Amino acid sequence: MADTLTPPTGELENFDPQRVVEEPLWRVRLRLGWRSFRRNWALFNDNKMGVVGLAIIALFGLMALAHPILMATIWSNHLEGGKNVYDIRAGADSIIVTKTIVEEVTDPLTEISQIEAMFLGTGVNIPEIGDTIESPLANPAPPVFSGVKHPHILGTDPFGGDVFSQLLFGARAAFLLGAIAAISSVALATLVGTISAYFGGVIDTLLMRLADLVILIPLLPLLIVVSGFWNVELTMLGILIGILSGLGGTAIILKSQALSVKVKPFIDAARIAGGGHWRIITRHIIPNVLPLSFLYMMFAVTGAIFTEAALSFLGLLNIQQSWGIMINIAHTQGYTLEGFDVWWLMFPAGLAITLFSAGFFLVGRAMDEVVNPRLRKR
Amino acid sequence: MAQTLEIESRGGKAGTPLLEVQNLVMHYGTKEGDVSAVEDVTFTLNNGEAIGLVGESGCGKTSIALTLLRLLPDNSVVKSGDVRLDGESLIGLDEEQMRRRRWRDISMVFQGAMNSWNPVYRIGDQIREALRLHWPETLTYQEETERIAALFELVGLNPATMERYPHEFSGGMRQRAVIAMALSCNPKVIIADEPTTALDVIVQDQILRELKKIQKELGMSIIYISHDIAVIAEVTERMGVMYAGKLVELGSTIEVFHRPKHPYSYLLLKSTPSITGPRRKLAPLEGEPPNLIEPPSGCRFHPRCPFATQQCIDEDPPLTTVGEGHSVACWHWQEVPEIGGLQK
Amino acid sequence: MTEPMTDIAAKTTPLVKVENLRKLYPVSKNIFREAHDFVHAVDDINFEIAPGESLGLVGESGCGKSTTGRMLTKLTDATSGQILLDDKGELIDIAHIQRSDMRRFRRRVQMIFQDPFESLNPRRTVYDTVAESLTVQRIGRVQEREERVAELLHRVGLTPPESFLFRYPHELSGGQRQRVAIARALVIDPTFVVADEPTSMLDVSIRISIMDLMLKLADEFNVSYLYITHDLAVARYMCDRIAVMYLGKIVEIAPTEELLANPRHPYTRALLSAVPVPDPAYKRERVDIKGGISKALNPPPVCRFIERCPRATDQCRTSDHPGFDDLGNGHLVACYNL
Repeated sequence: MADTLTPPTGELENFDPQRVVEEPLWRVRLRLGWRSFRRNWALFNDNKMGVVGLAIIALFGLMALAHPILMATIWSNHLEGGKNVYDIRAGADSIIVTKTIVEEVTDPLTEISQIEAMFLGTGVNIPEIGDTIESPLANPAPPVFSGVKHPHILGTDPFGGDVFSQLLFGARAAFLLGAIAAISSVALATLVGTISAYFGGVIDTLLMRLADLVILIPLLPLLIVVSGFWNVELTMLGILIGILSGLGGTAIILKSQALSVKVKPFIDAARIAGGGHWRIITRHIIPNVLPLSFLYMMFAVTGAIFTEAALSFLGLLNIQQSWGIMINIAHTQGYTLEGFDVWWLMFPAGLAITLFSAGFFLVGRAMDEVVNPRLRKR
Repeated sequence: MAQTLEIESRGGKAGTPLLEVQNLVMHYGTKEGDVSAVEDVTFTLNNGEAIGLVGESGCGKTSIALTLLRLLPDNSVVKSGDVRLDGESLIGLDEEQMRRRRWRDISMVFQGAMNSWNPVYRIGDQIREALRLHWPETLTYQEETERIAALFELVGLNPATMERYPHEFSGGMRQRAVIAMALSCNPKVIIADEPTTALDVIVQDQILRELKKIQKELGMSIIYISHDIAVIAEVTERMGVMYAGKLVELGSTIEVFHRPKHPYSYLLLKSTPSITGPRRKLAPLEGEPPNLIEPPSGCRFHPRCPFATQQCIDEDPPLTTVGEGHSVACWHWQEVPEIGGLQK
Repeated sequence: MTEPMTDIAAKTTPLVKVENLRKLYPVSKNIFREAHDFVHAVDDINFEIAPGESLGLVGESGCGKSTTGRMLTKLTDATSGQILLDDKGELIDIAHIQRSDMRRFRRRVQMIFQDPFESLNPRRTVYDTVAESLTVQRIGRVQEREERVAELLHRVGLTPPESFLFRYPHELSGGQRQRVAIARALVIDPTFVVADEPTSMLDVSIRISIMDLMLKLADEFNVSYLYITHDLAVARYMCDRIAVMYLGKIVEIAPTEELLANPRHPYTRALLSAVPVPDPAYKRERVDIKGGISKALNPPPVCRFIERCPRATDQCRTSDHPGFDDLGNGHLVACYNL
């Protein structure tokens, strides 16, 4: 009675396995990858916070790209003393710098006033106290857009360097540092976390105690000590931050994720299929940890930028130019307390650091919702 | 209103209607569209009666329980219909009025409840908390303790164990304590949603016996919800079969088991293995339960139904009475063969 | 202890022969201290499985049935004892397998897991999952593997296979996932499959079609199952013989119908009497046993069931855990008071 109710199931006779293998495997995989990217993008796109973050990052990307282009085109002919005014390091423009003479300083040897010496033989009247002169000494100048030889749209720094040019270049430095730090940190954290979770036992104990140690050592003071001994450049700083943050908290977080993956039956299934440790780690555990790794990569960028800014501010890095150095110069030249009167010295760089970090943070938060479906709104 | 400390059911006279669910329609709003989780469900629970709702996961049986208790998630909407307890509509009540009824009038024993004990408080104190929140009068500490002891004895636990912490209880003991908690305020109705699903078979048997004994002794009204028709067969007098949000068959348990009139009930029974009776071939139900965002037209079971005709695709069959207290929503109920129990 | 041959096993040499298998889990072990306390998860069990036969391993949670399955698939190492697998007339001892034999062993023994939502890697396609053992063991060219996987998908009822080949697990229903898991287990042509509660997470209506599929494929692929389940009704449908486990010991083995009709061990009786019956008119016999299941932490050498047994005598309290008594027809019971 029951048997008659069962509809017939598919027969093997009219099955042709040839039919299914028409499309080569790599193309199928490419198609699948594209599809899953589109799906994740749609989820990401739902979250306006992430889109804003991405827009901010894109803006900084444009800035980083703009610097070499501007140097090669619009800014290429602005020479002063044989050097380009807009050069981020050597460039200095004194033309529009003015100064009010406050006191007369006399050279103790020649007993000639410095101002007199400066204007002797120029045919210009020697200025008195209280006069305003155009100073050959570089000093911060406010933004000038047009009507002068070299327009400085964000003014100049205490050495006469163009702030806007430095700001654009700083974006390059930030991207470079962020990328190196984030990739090395997360690659290390993923590997350490996964290996620690997968093998457990002594390896786990050693790696995790190392992680505890790294967490215990405060990153900034350590880097201060390190940069006291070595000449720390941008790349090296990136790798240092990467190693220190990659061995610490991130490794522990990714380990806990790897642990939750390790106990899943599909890992057992992979072992039964005959997969070795390496295959199980790379094909089964890491792909399931990776979304979280990407997330921490975003947060690692934020951390690296802040660290760089702090170290540069303290003048401990051998870096050509960065946002942190811009603030450092303003600070060491004594403009910190002048606040809004010389806003272009600190404000653009400070805002850039904040926005850049915020951009990555927002993207990270939005990715969090893609990675953790629990956080998603229905 | 003087309250006795007796453990009892506060329901009315046996056999009179207690909880009436009328044409209940409940949807969940999702990004993909409305999920029609409960569609036009009508049934009545009488005083002192144990009824069962059976169906597969996603058929809407738990959604009904949540609607009765008004514990639905935010994205759910009761589109129409009513739930009446002793003639009073629960759907219209505000959250505060409902909160006062929830435990006091309708309590619950749900799946995995045994794991919902707070690990840092003693079991007895957690029941005491429920009493303090929901018992209409203030009891002395001594009265509370006596009541908890009586509850423990009723569910087969040693009253001395009320001083213990949840981790000191086995799974079965914890589930017994959950039942004690459900009984603590003399509810009118208990909703038992998969009360034994996570338990081992011997413990399950003990718990089911306990529940059955309590139901008989106190004249308690219980709604059992389960995916396991064998459990429903053990403990209920009447049962409803649900499929894809619809109540497809309603009748006395023995009638539904021996003479099912809906093809789904029939196939469900035919596909349930048993350790008694002759060894038999089981009939698989082909296909998968439908997507409730776009449910099939007409009868929702038609894509999997061996009796389906054009009429089933076009028209939704209404719940029609086919025998005493037995109704079914199928155009072809007369064609469904009799099963007549396991021994045949 | 000599192992009496069962009816089915007597006809041929057994495919799998488990002898004195034990698994002890140390409690509170660390680098500096040897463990003193052990949970006897599986304690000295013996059974055989004939080619093409399926043996049900039944018991409550924590009885050691899953640990047994994991030892047979080498996911867990045995503490002691032997697991002999017949590979074309040659015996491989799985418990003490050489590294060089591992690959061969992995081709012979496969497993189907309980939870279809957790047993498939969510980041790999159906093809990757099913083809994994072929890929790992470098069997066939890519195209041959693809064809083989497609054939398997067809045979487990995922038709047309090309529409399933490159789906991800989240695009499949529970029943479809379990079909993929079955295809994965059979793709490499094993002789022995351990199925650990493969249908317990599935809906009733799906369950039977998966069980029917497994029975059909057992015939077609000529595989033997060790079918681990807590559900005696499912074991009855799937298995030729049933072994009942209690706290790490097998207390009774018999052909399925014999065991259900004529259970002899008091635990088996209690277990059978507790199974709800899908017929309200059926009145079950009630067998009461005391207490609940405990943990086999440093158990005394006496019968494990003694504390709950309604029939325990002085002999039970003073003697070692009983060995098997052969009652004929392949019915073995470990009890002193039959």
